[in-house]
Amino acid sequence: MSAIQAPRTLVRSQLCRDVRRRIGKVPQRAFSSSQYLAQHQSPTPKSPQDEPGTTHFGFQTVAEALKEQKVAGVFSSVASSYDTMNDFMSLGIHRLWKDHFVRNLNPGRNPLTSPPSSPSEPQGWNILDIAGGTGDIAFRMLDHASTINNDAHTTVTVADINPDMLAEGRKRSLATPYARSPRLKFIEANAEKLDMIPDSSVDLYTVAFGIRNFTHKDVALREAYRVLKPGGVFACLEFSKVNNPLFDAVYKRWSFSAIPLIGQLVAGDRDSYQYLVESIERFPSQEEFRDMIKEAGFLVPGQGWEDLSLGIAAIHKGVKPLR
Amino acid sequence: MPSLIQSARCIVSRSQLCPSQLPILDFLAPSALSIRQPSRLHSTIPPSAEPSNPPSRQNAEKSNKPPRRPLTEAQKDFLDSALRVNQAGELAATLIYTAQTPPIVRAHPHLRPLMKHMYDQEAGHFDYFNKLLAKHRVRPTAMYPIWQAAATALGWGTAIMGREAAMACTEAVETEIGEHYNEQLRVLLDWAEKLEKSGEGVSEEFAVLIKELRRIRDEELEHLDHAVEHDAKEAKPYELLTNVIRGGCRTAIWISERV
Amino acid sequence: MYQKGVFLRQPLWKQRSAYHSYEHPESPPFPPAESAILSASLSHVPDHGFTSTALKLGARDAGYPDVSTNLLPRGVYDLVNYHLVTQRLALRDALQFPSDAENGKPIGVGSKVRALTLARLRANAPIVHRWQEALAIMAQPGYVPASLAELARLADEIWFLAGDTSVDMSWYTKRATLSAVYSASEVFMTQDTSADFVDTERFLDARLADLTKVGGLIGALGEWVGYTGHSVVNVLRSKGVRI
Repeated sequence: MSAIQAPRTLVRSQLCRDVRRRIGKVPQRAFSSSQYLAQHQSPTPKSPQDEPGTTHFGFQTVAEALKEQKVAGVFSSVASSYDTMNDFMSLGIHRLWKDHFVRNLNPGRNPLTSPPSSPSEPQGWNILDIAGGTGDIAFRMLDHASTINNDAHTTVTVADINPDMLAEGRKRSLATPYARSPRLKFIEANAEKLDMIPDSSVDLYTVAFGIRNFTHKDVALREAYRVLKPGGVFACLEFSKVNNPLFDAVYKRWSFSAIPLIGQLVAGDRDSYQYLVESIERFPSQEEFRDMIKEAGFLVPGQGWEDLSLGIAAIHKGVKPLR
Repeated sequence: MPSLIQSARCIVSRSQLCPSQLPILDFLAPSALSIRQPSRLHSTIPPSAEPSNPPSRQNAEKSNKPPRRPLTEAQKDFLDSALRVNQAGELAATLIYTAQTPPIVRAHPHLRPLMKHMYDQEAGHFDYFNKLLAKHRVRPTAMYPIWQAAATALGWGTAIMGREAAMACTEAVETEIGEHYNEQLRVLLDWAEKLEKSGEGVSEEFAVLIKELRRIRDEELEHLDHAVEHDAKEAKPYELLTNVIRGGCRTAIWISERV
Repeated sequence: MYQKGVFLRQPLWKQRSAYHSYEHPESPPFPPAESAILSASLSHVPDHGFTSTALKLGARDAGYPDVSTNLLPRGVYDLVNYHLVTQRLALRDALQFPSDAENGKPIGVGSKVRALTLARLRANAPIVHRWQEALAIMAQPGYVPASLAELARLADEIWFLAGDTSVDMSWYTKRATLSAVYSASEVFMTQDTSADFVDTERFLDARLADLTKVGGLIGALGEWVGYTGHSVVNVLRSKGVRI
């Protein structure tokens, strides 16, 4: 299922360079044991002919089968320093974006102002947070539902392809009131194949800073369409294209020269940060991504997206039509 | 929905003349309309592209045609700014001739019929676009009073400089305006062709607009020829004068398309 | 910090939908799903006001889950805007002026403007006790440009339906003054407790009367300037000055 189990042996020649470098780096990385785990997972043999296509890994073009692994490698190595990374990429304001993202979605059903009209109706929302390993969005959703909407029934399922990120999320959830409550669940899943989630069962599908790492964004969007209830909402927070040319030049300068360097100095991992910068540059523009959402069958609200901080990031939404 | 449109239409039709009732002053210039050779400007539109359907035939065919689609935002924007610029241009043209006429006619009484003829045609065009703006709910340019003042100043100023300068002014203005109408016609004929191809057919609105724009453009170019016949090229300094006026016209067109 | 790109990208002066065609149909003002949710939500406004609760209840009536209100990027402002737009468009059918022949004598543009403005004000009557909430939403900085543009569209609609055909500078002054009169009357109406809003009607008439006075004054002034100018030029010409 997950990338970690994918065909490591058969792509060994392509990967061994990375692996050797990472192994060489282990002693410097005092705060993470995650790559060790990642590298010693038992490989599942798989024929390379299964996946003849290629895709992008940052600016490199790699076999599709390889992208999942490479992405997994990146996130395994940054799982614990994930917040540091986002701080660099967003100039420190990703927390505000996430707050805005959640407040704007206004999750939860207020039992006072909008009580369920029949007893059979669910009392809260069923939220699926894809690529939400560290729980950033999930905790915010539950907090908002509980404190703003007095809703004690809304549930969040956090799905991530990467067990290291999930482990980080589980660890962080211990500090929240939801740690052992049925309202929060962690599952390991590939966003392109959510077999464990039934059709038309989800009210809100969120993906924050995750979708640019997916190998097939269109497949993931169709899968989102499948699991959402009619009228359910797909919401995506992602780095996007800066729309002011002057600021764009400054921001590019920052992200391409400074961030990999900082990654090297702070986390001792230049390549993972280089990948992040390049994957952001590769991600489709606001209009292109809006059209991909429409392509998957969603209705889009208004122009289809909201720019945050001049377009460093953007929120895209889609609503599944009733029929 | 049709009732909405009808009610709006009945209000309009009561208060407005239909374009066919406009005074057409072609008879004043019998020669100019038939012999249009000496113009420096040539229409870029091949004659074959003209919408050949007379309105009556279109109505008869309407039953088996696909329903009309709404205009796109880009098309509406184009028509909006095109009609606005045209009105502003004709406003300026009438004022230029109004301001030029007294000094020119005093110095050269034989030019009185020509000046009157040109003025009358411009007044007809202005009237046509005024009605079109009101009918299609197009906003007039916000620079209206400024164009009024500028056009009067330009007309009066060139007339004081003499007959040749006044004619050079006409030449420069009409060159720009002629080119401008040609550009509009190119776009409209392109749409018309596409509408024909899609089977929707050209709406009467467009067909009439294309026909009228052609007539108006030809009349403007006729003024250009008159100006050249009356020694516009003798104006001193000819190059400077015409270039300044043409630059001014282009700027005014650019502004009026936007505000 | 958040860029309100949606609202500011539209230039402020671009106040109206361009070019009105009589043969090509107009596109519907709202997409079907938005329209279904918003029209159902409006029926909850008298009880719940212009709030997200009204939106959620409306969405439910239309068969959508609560989360679907995310289809409306501007939330409650979209609800206010829906009321404004639909009431503006309904004005076309609200009044049918008899033709001049039927009436014996022509109805002036002025009295048509008055009738149309009053009809639009009366369309607020069912929700007038909630209208101050709507005004507060419209006055939020992000929504001010959109609200002003919609007010300008209403003024344009009224002058158009009244049969006004002026396309010179008075096009602007007429719309600006009517916008001012309308919004003042609208605010007045939220405080009006008189039967059948007769006080609002009186207020409107007084404002329109002010307008005619001022308008007449400006018109007379313009005429005087033009007349004097022409006389000066003619006198100078008669003295042989070559102008």
